[in-house]
Amino acid sequence: MGMKGSPICADNSFTGKGKVRAGLRIALFLAAFPLLLALSLLLGPSGIGIPDLQSPSGSAILSLRFSRLLMGMMTGAALSASGVVFQALLRNPLAEPYVLGVSGGAGLGATLTILAGSGLLSTLGLPVVAFVSAVLTLMVVYGIASQGSSGQPSVYSLILSGVIVSSICSSIVMFLVSTASVEGMHNVIWWMLGSLQPVSAGQQLLSAGLIGTALGGIWLLSPQLNALALGREMAHYQGLRADAVIVIGLLFATLLAATAVSLSGMIGFVGLIVPHVMRAMFGPDHRKLVPLAALGGGTFLVLCDAVARTLLAPVEIPVGVVTALAGGPFFLIILQRRMQQAWIA
Amino acid sequence: MDSISMEQDALTFNNVSAGYKQRRVLDSVSFRVKEGEFVSLIGPNGCGKSTLLKTAAALLKPLSGTVELFGQDVQRIKPAVRASLLGVVPQKIDSPMAFTVSQIVMNGRISSMGRWGTPSSLDHDLVERSMIYTDVLGLRDRFFSELSGGEQQRVALAMVLAQEPRIIMLDESISHLDINHRQEVLQILMNLNREKRMTILLVSHDLTLSAGISDRFLLMEAGTLVKAGTPAEVLDPELLSRVYNCDLTVQQDPYTGYLQVSGAIESLRRRRKLEKSVHVIAGGGSGIELYRRLLIEGYEVTTGVLNRLDSDAEAARALNIPAVLEQPFSPVGAAAIAKAMEMISSADAVVLSQVPFGSGNLVNLQLAEAAIQRGKMVLLAAGIGERDYTEGKAAVDFAARLKRAGALNWNSIHELMTQLQQQPHH
Repeated sequence: MGMKGSPICADNSFTGKGKVRAGLRIALFLAAFPLLLALSLLLGPSGIGIPDLQSPSGSAILSLRFSRLLMGMMTGAALSASGVVFQALLRNPLAEPYVLGVSGGAGLGATLTILAGSGLLSTLGLPVVAFVSAVLTLMVVYGIASQGSSGQPSVYSLILSGVIVSSICSSIVMFLVSTASVEGMHNVIWWMLGSLQPVSAGQQLLSAGLIGTALGGIWLLSPQLNALALGREMAHYQGLRADAVIVIGLLFATLLAATAVSLSGMIGFVGLIVPHVMRAMFGPDHRKLVPLAALGGGTFLVLCDAVARTLLAPVEIPVGVVTALAGGPFFLIILQRRMQQAWIA
Repeated sequence: MDSISMEQDALTFNNVSAGYKQRRVLDSVSFRVKEGEFVSLIGPNGCGKSTLLKTAAALLKPLSGTVELFGQDVQRIKPAVRASLLGVVPQKIDSPMAFTVSQIVMNGRISSMGRWGTPSSLDHDLVERSMIYTDVLGLRDRFFSELSGGEQQRVALAMVLAQEPRIIMLDESISHLDINHRQEVLQILMNLNREKRMTILLVSHDLTLSAGISDRFLLMEAGTLVKAGTPAEVLDPELLSRVYNCDLTVQQDPYTGYLQVSGAIESLRRRRKLEKSVHVIAGGGSGIELYRRLLIEGYEVTTGVLNRLDSDAEAARALNIPAVLEQPFSPVGAAAIAKAMEMISSADAVVLSQVPFGSGNLVNLQLAEAAIQRGKMVLLAAGIGERDYTEGKAAVDFAARLKRAGALNWNSIHELMTQLQQQPHH
């Protein structure tokens, strides 16, 4: 084998093959996801089929399914990309919006808004209030975790205080629900179960803008996220403003999670498991991982929603139930086969 | 930036104190490293070497004083520029995610690459060259986290070399390497130093190896710089023995002229056969380090009289040291005194720790006096005045009497060990 003096081209075959294979997988995925999305448009309570576009009800059904597809894409992409960032910044496979209390805080803010009343505030204001309360929650979690440590809190204390703050938030939500009027209670519980019922056009537009901005910002950060995989200290030595990257990354990830919560309620599982599966399939390089995880998370949620409204039609199953029940075993199989390529702890 | 004189300082510490919120680690450290120098930073565990490196790399902000990198205050240099001046190989790096070796090494180029992190052909060349240099090219498609500690260290070095800094600081990075790769990495560092005039600051515990390759040594002790100079100047056996608190010898290899520092394992082994015994008078935790060191050096140790609840009593029990114990909150009884006297009679020497004295344990000084009357060697921790809480400074008077009778003072454990060694075997 070549040592110091030998030509550089020593052995490229493995790299070459590996790259081709990775490229093939990405190409397959990019070809498959529009097909899967199209399939979800065809799935309905009456089985697979194109609704009769001539009839007004048929076109209404298709347009409803299409807006649910958009809701699912936005929510799934936001949750999944958010999970990617939390896992990268905390360098921990358990990190995700729920674990750090971000979703819980956003949920509390959203509950308050929903209970406070209807009108402009509860539609356009929902994402904003959710984001603000999620950021506040993250600050509380960070503050608690920093106590007693010199400077940066450890990942373990962050996750621990995140879990605690998260359960406090959900207790408050429970309390609010139990004292609310019947109508308010119905609204909040329906929202908490998680559903891709289309929200107002204005809120969709605003959410799309927020999610798009945050996704773009995270994609721009992806080389830095790669460097932070070796830890804050090493990233600093390599010339990164490591603390700034961490704070900006956390803010973007929080914005994504909060917007997802305000759109579709509490949908678990996507932010934790989709990033792992995408890493297992396409490797940990965030320049590829961020967009692929966003597409993957969106597609996954859209498919789950199609199943949710079809399986027991006309009864609709909460989509959060489907994500865990249907996605769990499927993803476990993938992870078991390819865990090594995702995360080595 | 390009017109740098040959004699420019690569790294300057001006009266730097640094540390963490509650704990100051560096205390007014000043030194300069010239461009092109190969300097080894040595000192015992926990003396502040890593903190010094972190301060030099602007990871820690000095509490006072300034750190300069090539004449500029390191706190004011832009991070990307700083990375082009200074590279750090930490003690250990780990990547929880499954990055390959070449992906890891590419991180070294991150500050020089464009916004999108797309490597140019120059970046690829530098990464490849660094991997060849450190002999990790064959590992490039392996997962970094699967490699052995030594392989990971060489990958880390490759990453920092790809950064192309003008000064490299290594934090005990070579201690995980096998002997072949340790020589090789040191050879790489020496080549970089000689051919590219790269400045090297190496934190090292292998004093012999460092002596062979370094222009200069910086010796640290408890957060301060105690000596800077050529290896021959710093590797003074007496100074080293004091700083490292153990017996060290320095010899010059007759063939190579290299200085060799060796510990006292040989003499330890010899001493074990002496089977000398020492009775320790301690209390309040002041005996633990004495017990530990005396046992390591091979002495038989006894101790007492101790309060049953004292932390020294617990340590003695844990270390299987015979001890005379007395009930807490009660005066030392005649039985305990007799038992302690028995131990002292069969001991070769009596050592008094830095225990504070009050009326309750003054009896222990009487034991020491009795020992000296029986011709035993008695060693007294210096500075009893600060630990005397008896009325009328009775302990200080006692200590003065003991000294007149021939008791010796000890200041550091190393000094104590030397004194015990000099004691004739009976």
